[in-house]
Amino acid sequence: MKKFIGKTITFSILPLISFLGICFLANGYTDPFYIRFTTPKQSNLIIGTSRAAQGIQPKVFKTILGKDISNYAFTVTQSPFGSIYFESIKKKHNKTKGGIFIISVDPWSISSMCYNPNDAESFRENNLCLDNTEFVDMKPNFQYLYKNLKGHYKDIIVPPSKSMYLHRDGWLEVKNIAMDSLSVLKRTNEKVKTYRYIDLPKAKFSSLRLEFLLKTITYLKNYGQVYLVRLPVHNDIMQIENELMPNFDHFINGAIDSSDGYLDLTEYNNKFQFTDGNHLYKTSGKEVSVLIANWIKGQK
Amino acid sequence: MLFNSINFAIFLPIVFILYWFATKGNFKLQNILLLVSSYFFYACWDWRFMFLLIFSTLLDYYTGIKIHEAASQRKKLFWLWLSISINLGFLGVFKYYNFFVDSFADALSLLGFKVNLGTLQVILPVGISFYTFHGLSYVIDIFKNRIKPERNFVDYSVFVSFFPLLVAGPIERATHLLPQILKKREFDYSKAIDGLRQILWGLFKKMVIADNCAEYANTIFNNFADYTGSTLVLGALFFTIQIYCDFSGYSDIALGTARLFGIELLRNFAFPYFSRDIAEFWRRWHISLSSWFKDYLYIPLGGSKGGMWIKIRNTFIIFLASGFWHGANWTFIVWGFLNALYIMPSIIFNTNRNNIEIVAKGKYLPSLKEFLSIIVTFGLTVFAWIFFRAANVTDAFCYISKIFSSSLFSIPNFIGIGKSVSIILITFIFFIIEWVGREHQYAIADLGLNWKRPFRYAMYYAIVVVIFWFGGNEQQFIYFQF
Repeated sequence: MKKFIGKTITFSILPLISFLGICFLANGYTDPFYIRFTTPKQSNLIIGTSRAAQGIQPKVFKTILGKDISNYAFTVTQSPFGSIYFESIKKKHNKTKGGIFIISVDPWSISSMCYNPNDAESFRENNLCLDNTEFVDMKPNFQYLYKNLKGHYKDIIVPPSKSMYLHRDGWLEVKNIAMDSLSVLKRTNEKVKTYRYIDLPKAKFSSLRLEFLLKTITYLKNYGQVYLVRLPVHNDIMQIENELMPNFDHFINGAIDSSDGYLDLTEYNNKFQFTDGNHLYKTSGKEVSVLIANWIKGQK
Repeated sequence: MLFNSINFAIFLPIVFILYWFATKGNFKLQNILLLVSSYFFYACWDWRFMFLLIFSTLLDYYTGIKIHEAASQRKKLFWLWLSISINLGFLGVFKYYNFFVDSFADALSLLGFKVNLGTLQVILPVGISFYTFHGLSYVIDIFKNRIKPERNFVDYSVFVSFFPLLVAGPIERATHLLPQILKKREFDYSKAIDGLRQILWGLFKKMVIADNCAEYANTIFNNFADYTGSTLVLGALFFTIQIYCDFSGYSDIALGTARLFGIELLRNFAFPYFSRDIAEFWRRWHISLSSWFKDYLYIPLGGSKGGMWIKIRNTFIIFLASGFWHGANWTFIVWGFLNALYIMPSIIFNTNRNNIEIVAKGKYLPSLKEFLSIIVTFGLTVFAWIFFRAANVTDAFCYISKIFSSSLFSIPNFIGIGKSVSIILITFIFFIIEWVGREHQYAIADLGLNWKRPFRYAMYYAIVVVIFWFGGNEQQFIYFQF
């Protein structure tokens, strides 16, 4: 028996140490979310979906506002407003006063694809990383890697793509992609097609999600200033959003009233460059971040 | 708690240590520990269904004693049928109620009557088909005087709920498992090592081959209308490999785990894809279920006695029942029917026991005749799996009709085909290893045993690395849904 246990332990040590060692190698190329679960709890946060994840650059805020602000935005699948995102935000926040919170809003983040848009049991974010990761400030985050990289551990050693890099401040940089007009047009057309023919027919306004947007604002208001921002998108996508929620500002009126200000940048849609119509290209993202930072500076 | 989860990797060593050390070899204490662990294991799926499992255990425990004690045959029959009816009643409600209601409504609508019969919004308790069959075999064996009832409730409960076999078998017999539970188990080093080796091989089959093939099979089957005939053939092949590696991988882990506790479970797979005819295939595929149907349905119906027509009728009955056991869907029934058709020639010409020994025993390669027989049998099996995997019968027929189109001769193409090349290569190597190890309990049972230790360890580490490197997206074991 002792021989058996001894041999089993000896045999297991090498794979176990190798696995733990490999976890230390996980970085911003491993996947588009991991790094956000490895940084310390934060006083200032950027909240939203992939538009904010790619479009709002924290380093700009450091320069203009002198604050370290962490981008804790994910994707419309992972982080629409709801109890899962709300609980994760509470975990990521360090409960200190005087913070700045930028919440990116759009019709998709208060919609649901379920038959009953308020059926939280069927929400898409269930069991995804924000739901299954208890610890949001652990490095290496074994829990995240174990639960969310299952079957893809090799991605830690050989990243699946070099076109995305998640910075330590949470900004998801999209790089090494063709930005000539033809490539952009092709990607935009694809995205528009997906939104129009796959997402729009299924998406419905969810009063439960709106309720959680309000809860998020109310919670964060206890610790600082909360600003709502609607980021620019390509006009074709804007048109689809207008079909989904014709009076979006009216829908989120309560949220606007609860916040410290609302900046709608969609009237400047034509001024910016997008990688696929939905996400700001990094140069435009920088410009938008400067606009938001200066606007917040003005508000204060 | 999945066998390929971190939870199980923590659970198993804890139970193992407690079993061999904390109980000090007292098998009564070991049985109590096994029962508590098994209930904990089951509760991790859904604790609410534990009550159903306990009720089912109590029912068979009690009716088993009553059958044995009954003074007359009439009373014995009463207790037997009570047990069978309640067991099958639960199975009927949880697994088949909605199927019957929907099928009845569909039939009425064909006659022009539109009815809306209520269906149940219940989830299927995991493992219900397996532990129900455990219990049924126990009471039937008592009725047939093959065994005496077990008076110790804990020991009997361990027979029903032993965690390695609880959710997806093998479907054990009281005559095989109960005697092992009732006697003192000694730790056997070589058996324990063999158990670990079988677990490793099972994990490889499940995580590398089955989970990756599942991804491609799902892509192709879920969007079959978009693909060419050749791609659909590839999809069917992916599913054929997936279901074998998924279920036999599960069985390997179950058997290996049980061996760590000094218990031998029934073998469930014996390299079925190397079969030379369908009869041989069914002696090698899901052996514990096939033999269950043979012993508790085919033989009581008269088996092969009573003439050719009775034999044909009984064969169809067990294949249809086997199909229906898999799930409440016409696809499974058609799959069962198709297999019954396949086996008919060997039933009619009495050649069903022609291939008892493993193919090309003691040789490196099969003869040309054997090779062609294997290919034909494999092809028939692949074709039948299309029905098993399709969402409904209409989809299955559409899938097949798309295969037999001019696009059958085009180059296969689907999303992820580039990535699949490495998996196809690994699967090819896997089949070579299976072929080499086909005379043993599982493919690597004997592989490397005569090698020097560093080489043997290098092989085990290589399997671990392949699991880590190529492990696919985690998929539920297919047979959990049955």
